[in-house]
Amino acid sequence: MNYRYVLKELRHHHNRTLVNILGIGIGIALFVSINAVNTAYQKAVSLPFKNLGADIVVQRPEKRAVDSGQPPASMRGIRLPFSNQRLPSHDLEKLKAIEGVDSMASSLLLWEFNKGGFRTIMGVDLTQPSLGPVKVKEWLKEGRFPRKEGEVVLEKHYAKFHHKKNGDAVEINGRPFSVVGLLEIKEGSQIASANIYLPLQDAQGLLGAESGGVNIAYLRLKNPSLLSQVKTSIAKQLNGVSVTSSDSFLELMGGVSKISEQFSFIVSIIALGGAIFLIIKAMVSNLVERSREIGILKAVGWTERDVQKQLMGEVFLQSLFGGVLGILMGYFFSYLLGFLSIPVSTPWELNLLPAFAKDTAAVAKTVRLPVSISAGLTAISLALSLAAGGMASYFMGKRTARMKPAEILRQL
Amino acid sequence: MSKSTILSGTDLSKKYGDLEVVKGVSLTVNEGEFVCLVGKSGCGKTTLLSLLSGLEKPTKGRVSLDGREITTSSEDELALFRRDNVGFIFQSFNLIPTLSAWENVALPLFPIKITSEERRRRATELLEKMELGHRMDHLPSALSGGEKQRVAIARALVNHPKIIFADEPIGNLDSGTGEAIMGILNKLHKEEGVAILMVTHEDELAKTANRLIRMKDGEIMS
Repeated sequence: MNYRYVLKELRHHHNRTLVNILGIGIGIALFVSINAVNTAYQKAVSLPFKNLGADIVVQRPEKRAVDSGQPPASMRGIRLPFSNQRLPSHDLEKLKAIEGVDSMASSLLLWEFNKGGFRTIMGVDLTQPSLGPVKVKEWLKEGRFPRKEGEVVLEKHYAKFHHKKNGDAVEINGRPFSVVGLLEIKEGSQIASANIYLPLQDAQGLLGAESGGVNIAYLRLKNPSLLSQVKTSIAKQLNGVSVTSSDSFLELMGGVSKISEQFSFIVSIIALGGAIFLIIKAMVSNLVERSREIGILKAVGWTERDVQKQLMGEVFLQSLFGGVLGILMGYFFSYLLGFLSIPVSTPWELNLLPAFAKDTAAVAKTVRLPVSISAGLTAISLALSLAAGGMASYFMGKRTARMKPAEILRQL
Repeated sequence: MSKSTILSGTDLSKKYGDLEVVKGVSLTVNEGEFVCLVGKSGCGKTTLLSLLSGLEKPTKGRVSLDGREITTSSEDELALFRRDNVGFIFQSFNLIPTLSAWENVALPLFPIKITSEERRRRATELLEKMELGHRMDHLPSALSGGEKQRVAIARALVNHPKIIFADEPIGNLDSGTGEAIMGILNKLHKEEGVAILMVTHEDELAKTANRLIRMKDGEIMS
């Protein structure tokens, strides 16, 4: 292969070269972007769990609420949410003992109703440093996390709305607490989003000594691939509990995520296949234009292999530039798509607010699409563009093999 | 002094479907001989040239070039044989438009493993011989018809061929330029001792050759 000849040929027919490079580039860019967005959707729905370091959340909904959706008779003072009734200690022991569970944390979620409305209170298990709502410690904007009885942290927006700041006092169920910090809930962490955070013991005290306990269990698995196995074990061993994981979000999003997955597969195949088809067609058609040149090369002593190597050199360079351009374009499109926010609906049982607080049981929270392009996707894209070039070379080789110098030169 | 045969075609025929373009032709060309194949358009002389040079295979008959039977060779074997033993000059020059004059001359050397400096040196030498040393880096589009044909002659010589096949080499040139090109071919034949088989339809040009072969309707008349 003569590089000088290859480069001169590509430069001389710059329009043809540009069209080929752009064709490959656009196909690869679509492939990269579509796959990056699809991966971003999967990441977005797993964000609420990832932020808490958990794989599975276990709750026990109130039977009445599940059966009829009717509110209980009493809606005043401190109470347990309908979807989060107390988890007995023997249930917690069973959860811990299930094969595949690595660690467990728990929390106590409370609702307080009064004349002014309602608020959500989260009792946090401080003994677990990196699992469950204790992770909100990392999102402190001001002050510190409670260390002793009588201290609370407020969610920033709640504090602003109620004109509370660090050092102020708040009253919960008639008991005074001092505000020692303010925090801001991270995007996509709606399953840990409460108005007030306090140590688990304080929350248990608010509910009354006889009620105590916890009502949400967070499980981290030894291996994420054990998810369905552990979920099945929980369903077998514990009656009446609801078990949720990131795929519950995916199921709830259903339409969007499933369409996205199928859509991305079909579209990326069509985009790439279409691009490959067009490039092969364009390159093979170019051979007809170049038949005179090929006839001359063969007449002056170039073998079939010499001609094919020369054409392969041209195709390889175009595929390489097309692939790199496509990846760069894919990065750019993905960067732009990263500014999009998508709604992530929360399953009913993980919605920490009372049903009447929103129009629907599942509260939609928006999340910035976490688009990123992996090194693997980049490598696959580049390999695909070169494979497209390889296919084009193959068909071009078949065509040139049929070209006889005398036949070509006679037609001139 | 008798010279050995460099090219021999025996009982050559070529059919395209039912049309027989070359009909049982036999001819020989000796080393250093300048032979002209003359005939009207469509009489089969270009086809005969293609058969004799190994560009095309005959339907019947044998071709022997420099003592080697080429009729049974594969396309690639023929290509390699042409590269080492044969030079071509075409009526329409057949230069590669994207390559400069010297690169066109060096075209048969591109697949050979030699340095680009050596390629350029050999091309430069021949272009200077053709008085085109000042046009080395020009593209064919910047050359006149006569200059293009001189580049094509230089290309035909770059591998030191034993025989040059020229198909109407001045057919696209004005009379003055044509004479100059014929002068170069005569000089090559006389000074370098290269055998030339030239196809033309002009009797005038054939007068400069050692031997004249007339063709009519695919057959040799004289």
